[in-house]
Amino acid sequence: MEKYAVYVPRLIKRKEKFAPGHRACIGCGEALAVRLAFKALDNNIVVANATGCMEIVASQIPYTTWHVPWIHTLFENTAAVASGIEAGYKAMKRKGVQVPDNVKVIAMAGDGGTSDIGLQALSGALERGHDFVYLCFDNEAYMNTGVQRSSATPYGAVTTTSPAGKNSIGQFSWKKNMPEIAAAHNIPYVATACHSYPFDLMDKVAKAASIPGPAYVHILSVCPTGWRSPTDTVVKLGRLAVETGIFPLYEVENGQYKMSIELPKLKPVKDYLKQQGRFRHLSDDIIAKIQERVEIEYQKLVEKAENGSKRAKRKSKTGAAKIST
Amino acid sequence: MVKLTINGREITVEEGTTILHAARENNIYIPTLCENEAVAPYGACRLCLVEITTARGRERLVTSCIYLVEEGLTVRTDTERIGRIRRMLLELLLARCADSEVIHDLARQASVTRTRFTKQTGNNKCILCANCARTCEEVVGVAAISLARRGVDREMTTPFNEDFSEVCIGCGSCAYSCPTSAITLEDTDGTRVINWPHNQMEFKMKACSVCGKYWAPEKQVEYVARTSGTPLSDYDACPDCRE
Repeated sequence: MEKYAVYVPRLIKRKEKFAPGHRACIGCGEALAVRLAFKALDNNIVVANATGCMEIVASQIPYTTWHVPWIHTLFENTAAVASGIEAGYKAMKRKGVQVPDNVKVIAMAGDGGTSDIGLQALSGALERGHDFVYLCFDNEAYMNTGVQRSSATPYGAVTTTSPAGKNSIGQFSWKKNMPEIAAAHNIPYVATACHSYPFDLMDKVAKAASIPGPAYVHILSVCPTGWRSPTDTVVKLGRLAVETGIFPLYEVENGQYKMSIELPKLKPVKDYLKQQGRFRHLSDDIIAKIQERVEIEYQKLVEKAENGSKRAKRKSKTGAAKIST
Repeated sequence: MVKLTINGREITVEEGTTILHAARENNIYIPTLCENEAVAPYGACRLCLVEITTARGRERLVTSCIYLVEEGLTVRTDTERIGRIRRMLLELLLARCADSEVIHDLARQASVTRTRFTKQTGNNKCILCANCARTCEEVVGVAAISLARRGVDREMTTPFNEDFSEVCIGCGSCAYSCPTSAITLEDTDGTRVINWPHNQMEFKMKACSVCGKYWAPEKQVEYVARTSGTPLSDYDACPDCRE
């Protein structure tokens, strides 16, 4: 879709499933990501939404932002509820109850609901192979309760539970690599996306929904409130996160890695870190340490993608040889 | 607001909605190929046929993508008669475009596995829905391609059937809106090739002055600059590098 960029905005669906008027903060990247993700899906869906920003801002009684069937679940059981809905539809069909065909179950949660509290339910659902899509909207901390650290908070970031000071540099551990954990379940489709690349995001969500079996999409969502950044830099920060290699965009389809955006040269991570208040305290040697780590991780990923394409080529070659004989 | 019944379900929609959109809003599935929200309804593929009974008791078969809702209308989308007609349409489409994945999928849904008609060759995957030509004219505003001739000779083509269209800007919207991917687009170092069913055209791409990435066809950049009244120098850098 990226290629057609100029006229595609006028050719995509106009109907919103995530209506305006919700109570997200100014410049919320997550609301933007949710809106785009649901534009890529059709009407035939049921959403299970974990506690988190998107549940809080979109469903204050007696109002709702959702134009699709939507269930609020707890932090820990989003994936369990989603698999229950899917199993329920199957059972009803088997018993001969009239239910609509091809209903896709969408589970969505924040980074806390995915990588901390909801991880075991997610792992179980991925392992059992339910036909559902799991969307993780990652804003790198528990934002709706007032910025507490999660396992998705990057190294060095300030949150209220990982403050920076004389004896602390903020978050002390590296960001948990959630897409890799999902990919380790050998599911058909895993992808990372960012709202700053809207067509890429929409393509990936649509692809995830079209594939039978579990799919996982990890979406980086910039949060100006928690990241202590100006509200007008949301899209720019998302692009910088990708361009610096901190949040690489890739997909894993049946174990084959593929980079979504080719970056010949990574931008220095300093460009990204220095625009956010949560990294304001970082000294140059800590930034150098982060830079080193980002490069290593990015290189690992590129190698995986290259090895995958080589293997695929070899496979197609042997396949062609078989046909000729 | 207008009240109507679709498959026994009473629904209320705004006046001026088509039956297809009313059904879709209420999760009632009607197959279609040529429907596109961005352009005016056209009714080319006929797959969205439904049976209606008007408030005065008149029964008809109509294409739901162009028929507007009326008070007291009764619509049935899955009767035996419609199933028969739809299966025939799909057989005809299968005979016309045997390579199209999308048509095969639709046929499979309607349990059509083979076609009784002679398979045609040389059509590529085009079903003559004119989505491309309509998008080109209504959304992009250049009208570089159109449907030419009539009856069995009708085809999607460039003016005078040449491998060149003077007004085409190479944006690729036709390829995007094509429901059966009969039009394809390939970008390779500095050139873009658009493959229409019977013609092919090459475009030179513009390189970004900062990162050197080829980001849009030169003709498209010129067209955007001209229609928006901005100087061409504004478009030297790609959207990623632009300040």
